[in-house]
Amino acid sequence: MLIEQSAYTNRWRRVSPAAKGLFTLCGLVAAFAAATPVTACGIAVVLCAVTILGAGIPPGRYLRVAAPALLFLFVSTMSLAVSLKIGGSVGDVSLHMAQTEYAKVAQVCGRSLGGLAALLFLTLTTPLIDIIALLRRLKAPEILLDIMVLCYRTLFVFSEAVHDTITAQSARLGYANVRLSMRSLGGLVANITVQVWQRSQALHLAAMARNNDGPLRFLEHTYPNFKRDMCIALCAGTALVALSMVIV
Amino acid sequence: MNQQLIEPVLELQDVSFRYPDGSVGLDRCSISIPRGTRVALLGANGAGKTTLFLHLNGILRPQSGTVLFGGVPLDYSRHGLHTLRSRIGLVFQNPDSQLFSASVREDVSFGPLNLGLDNETVRSRVEEALHAVGMTAYADKPVHNLSYGQKKRVCIAGVLAMRPKVLILDEPMAGLDVAMQVELTHILDQLHTEGMTIVIATHDMDFAYQWADSITVMVNGGCAANWDVESIPEALTELAAYGLGMPKVAELQRVLAIGRIWDDDISSARSHQALIKKLTVATASI
Repeated sequence: MLIEQSAYTNRWRRVSPAAKGLFTLCGLVAAFAAATPVTACGIAVVLCAVTILGAGIPPGRYLRVAAPALLFLFVSTMSLAVSLKIGGSVGDVSLHMAQTEYAKVAQVCGRSLGGLAALLFLTLTTPLIDIIALLRRLKAPEILLDIMVLCYRTLFVFSEAVHDTITAQSARLGYANVRLSMRSLGGLVANITVQVWQRSQALHLAAMARNNDGPLRFLEHTYPNFKRDMCIALCAGTALVALSMVIV
Repeated sequence: MNQQLIEPVLELQDVSFRYPDGSVGLDRCSISIPRGTRVALLGANGAGKTTLFLHLNGILRPQSGTVLFGGVPLDYSRHGLHTLRSRIGLVFQNPDSQLFSASVREDVSFGPLNLGLDNETVRSRVEEALHAVGMTAYADKPVHNLSYGQKKRVCIAGVLAMRPKVLILDEPMAGLDVAMQVELTHILDQLHTEGMTIVIATHDMDFAYQWADSITVMVNGGCAANWDVESIPEALTELAAYGLGMPKVAELQRVLAIGRIWDDDISSARSHQALIKKLTVATASI
């Protein structure tokens, strides 16, 4: 929901998704092309600044969206940096930090941060429907796009259905204790499963009623400043890649 | 206006349909929908209204009997159904069951693109349809952020963009607040003025009496009765026997007439507001 809010309300909502996609791609390339981990971190900072200052995403919200990914990155980095050392005698187990691994860990960490910042730039500035439309223009497989469209749409339909069912169950003390909670949870899963099936049938009928006989087709959005946006994205992206190669 | 004299655009002749679980959908149902009219379909839950609509759009196929469009039996070939569904628009009861895309504009474009129209034509049709239902300002909003009534209007726009000759709406007023109901009635009146045939399934007898040109009652999958609204005041007892209630305005008129409180002049009022207006005028002239 945080991502949704930002994607629809940010300053660059009307900028062509292709331009934002191009800049993201350049950001990813820059993060991987960075000569040192510090440079990669620098790229991440630049991308983060562009997202917060340029697109106007509140820093607090940015951090909250990034937090789960950062936590995952921290755990992964630690597991790379620290290894378990088992001695000869029983109970001789110690944590070992190999000096030689530091450089590799720093490189992975730097690149990941850069990649994360680049992807956050795209997701926080571009609604998923625009990203799907962009993928459609890039000739991504139709079946994949149809699944994305339906998943994205039904995500909200079913989150509402889950919310309504839980409220109805809670109103009748469905979650009053552990035993009842387990029982209610089972009921919730069963109920939603049936709803998924019924809704899929209803969507199928609705598609037929509107003359659909194959892939789901939607109108593509047009962006009046497409060329200008692409030029700016290309220049900024190239500068970012150049920066990552030059600064050591 | 005598509905019998107008050429029917859609017709069901003795149509029967049973669902795979054995339940009766339609049972020797015959109904005629005159071109350019407003038809209200009334019936209890499970009476077969939705099944009838699915037959009119060619989604369900009768197990016996015939469905005719423009006097010709439906052609169930791929091409025939394509033509039929481009002329008969169907709006389902639950908007969340028919909105595909999370974007309002994209969803409205779904139908016209299925017709094989070029992008420019689709673009202009989408804008026109959104304007007709008063949703232009919401064109770029995500569907999940809209209210129930707004989603319903997007559904209608999605069908209008296909420019159907007949618009079928399954309980369009269900779940709408009074303001939304008034707005939707205005939209339907506008479409009727433009010559569209409109069929509505509803439980609201007062709305049906106020809005429709004819009222059809369905019972257990069959068409039990059909009246022009002008003849409803004489058929109140018969109408009440179906357990669907009777229009409050007509009921009040009958009581006033029996008590000889007012003369026949008030009988033409079909809505509460129209009746109040007539009574006010009549009171002032005393």
